[in-house]
Amino acid sequence: MISKEEVLNLAELARLKLSDAEVESLQKDISNILDYVGQVSAVGVSDVEQLKPILRNVMREDKPYGAGSVMMLGSREALLEALPKKEKAPMGGFFNVVRKIIQKDE
Amino acid sequence: MSELNKLSITEASKKMQAGEITAVDVSRVCLAEIEKRNKILNAYLEVFSDVLEQANVADEKRAQNKKEGKESHALLGIPFAIKDNILIEGRNVSAASKILENYVASYDATVIKKLKEAGAVFLGRTNMDEFAMGGSTENSAFGPAKNPLDEMRVPGGSSGGSAAAVASYMALGALGTDTGGSIREPASFCGLVGLKPTYGAVSRSGLIAMGSSLDQAGPLAHTVEDAELIFNAIRGRDSFDSTSISEDLYPKHAATKKIGVPRHLLKEGIDQDVLEQFEKSLEALKKSGYEIIDVELPSAPLALAVYYVIMPAEVSANLARFDGVRYGLSLKGDSLFDDYAKTRGEGFGAEARRRIMLGTYVLSSGYYDAYYGKATAARAMLAAEVSDVLKEVDCIATPTTPSPAAKIGEKSDPLAMYLMDIFTVTANLTGNPALSLPMGAVPREGKQLPIGIQLTAAHGDEAGLFKIGKEIEKIAVQ
Repeated sequence: MISKEEVLNLAELARLKLSDAEVESLQKDISNILDYVGQVSAVGVSDVEQLKPILRNVMREDKPYGAGSVMMLGSREALLEALPKKEKAPMGGFFNVVRKIIQKDE
Repeated sequence: MSELNKLSITEASKKMQAGEITAVDVSRVCLAEIEKRNKILNAYLEVFSDVLEQANVADEKRAQNKKEGKESHALLGIPFAIKDNILIEGRNVSAASKILENYVASYDATVIKKLKEAGAVFLGRTNMDEFAMGGSTENSAFGPAKNPLDEMRVPGGSSGGSAAAVASYMALGALGTDTGGSIREPASFCGLVGLKPTYGAVSRSGLIAMGSSLDQAGPLAHTVEDAELIFNAIRGRDSFDSTSISEDLYPKHAATKKIGVPRHLLKEGIDQDVLEQFEKSLEALKKSGYEIIDVELPSAPLALAVYYVIMPAEVSANLARFDGVRYGLSLKGDSLFDDYAKTRGEGFGAEARRRIMLGTYVLSSGYYDAYYGKATAARAMLAAEVSDVLKEVDCIATPTTPSPAAKIGEKSDPLAMYLMDIFTVTANLTGNPALSLPMGAVPREGKQLPIGIQLTAAHGDEAGLFKIGKEIEKIAVQ
């Protein structure tokens, strides 16, 4: 079974706040699922090297989509409308209000 | 007049074109059925308030087309149920999650744009497992949906609301999405036809992503012909989705009149009567001129394990965008880290949290090679095997699920729930198109529960699936 510390570390990496009860149940669930999916380890090393998935890159021309362009999804206003916390900007429109993360040097 | 909701899309379309009925008539009957049954079934999370106006617009468009001698699209005026992870501009879309509960879509998904151009009517958005994670619709943040054929049971999932809506005649057709069986499994549990198209055949622009190397949108309907009609309306290359493909990307499959059955996968873990129904369907196909041959897919026993490594890995990446900064639920904690952790901890449901954790685990350094690396290799092997088999046969047939719909609350262990996907995940891993359609019913506690047969074809060969699907429909195994 994976340890409580491992679960807490994963939760930190995934930015998830979990209750103590959930940490405990996840220890069990994740261990059970890992036991099952561990079957994939049966795939031989040489297979792994031979069988890189076939992928291709799909690029578009590196041109910005202008406002009102048929290539633009959603208006600026509609996207701003979805902001959880906004403040009126002095020049019109809105600011997205986010937590201050840069502290002044003491 | 009262049975208009029980018409197939094809029939309703013909009657509308003949002027016998109107789009408003059909939508009205669907709304009446919703009024009667949705409270218990919980198939729709929201029924739109402008349905009759949309239907009226469709009727006017038809009149205009007639005046100008123009042909009307077969989906003009047809009322649809839309899964709650598909964006319709200006309407709420939540993926059945608290984290997006009040989110309003800022643009139309490409599939919606195409249905709008055809003139389809949108009845409402349907219940689902949160972020499409589950096979029962029990993982919805807004309560489980129920199976219209037995309200004690699940409708399947994750597109369970869409399936329940069509099966209970609260819509003529529906859109769902399928990452590991989420269209085909509910289609099977509700006695419907469901298609997971070839990877890339249908644009995913405007779909809320779950596993991006696996996700596809597709139709749920009562008949193969209806599913085909919807698929043809939504397919096509789209500049907003770089993974979408043109119709001629794959070489045309040369028909062999052979159907492959991987019998080595059917030896255990399947209900006996499901297997009997499956054999009956194969017998019937033999009579209509198909040769049934045994095929081997040596890597297929690994498919489910491969899927439950790759999918959570992609989930953990895709769901990282829900951080409470740009949209959706936004909770405040003591620090920036706390803001994120609180928003995500409370906004996501238990199954979403579980899969994010699992995905984070298999991608973390030290485990990456053992899980994700191996799974990717096994996936490539499986794809090669399926492609090889499909050179010899027109399709691979299996039951869609090993058993019919479970009771609500019956499968509380996550792994037991995952095992329901054993036959469906392969097509997502390999990108092949797969169709589920009814193959009769099996009795459980005094009720007849439908089950499905799944056909998987070569990349790009949806036409082949529809052709064999129609044969099976004609035979109608009871």
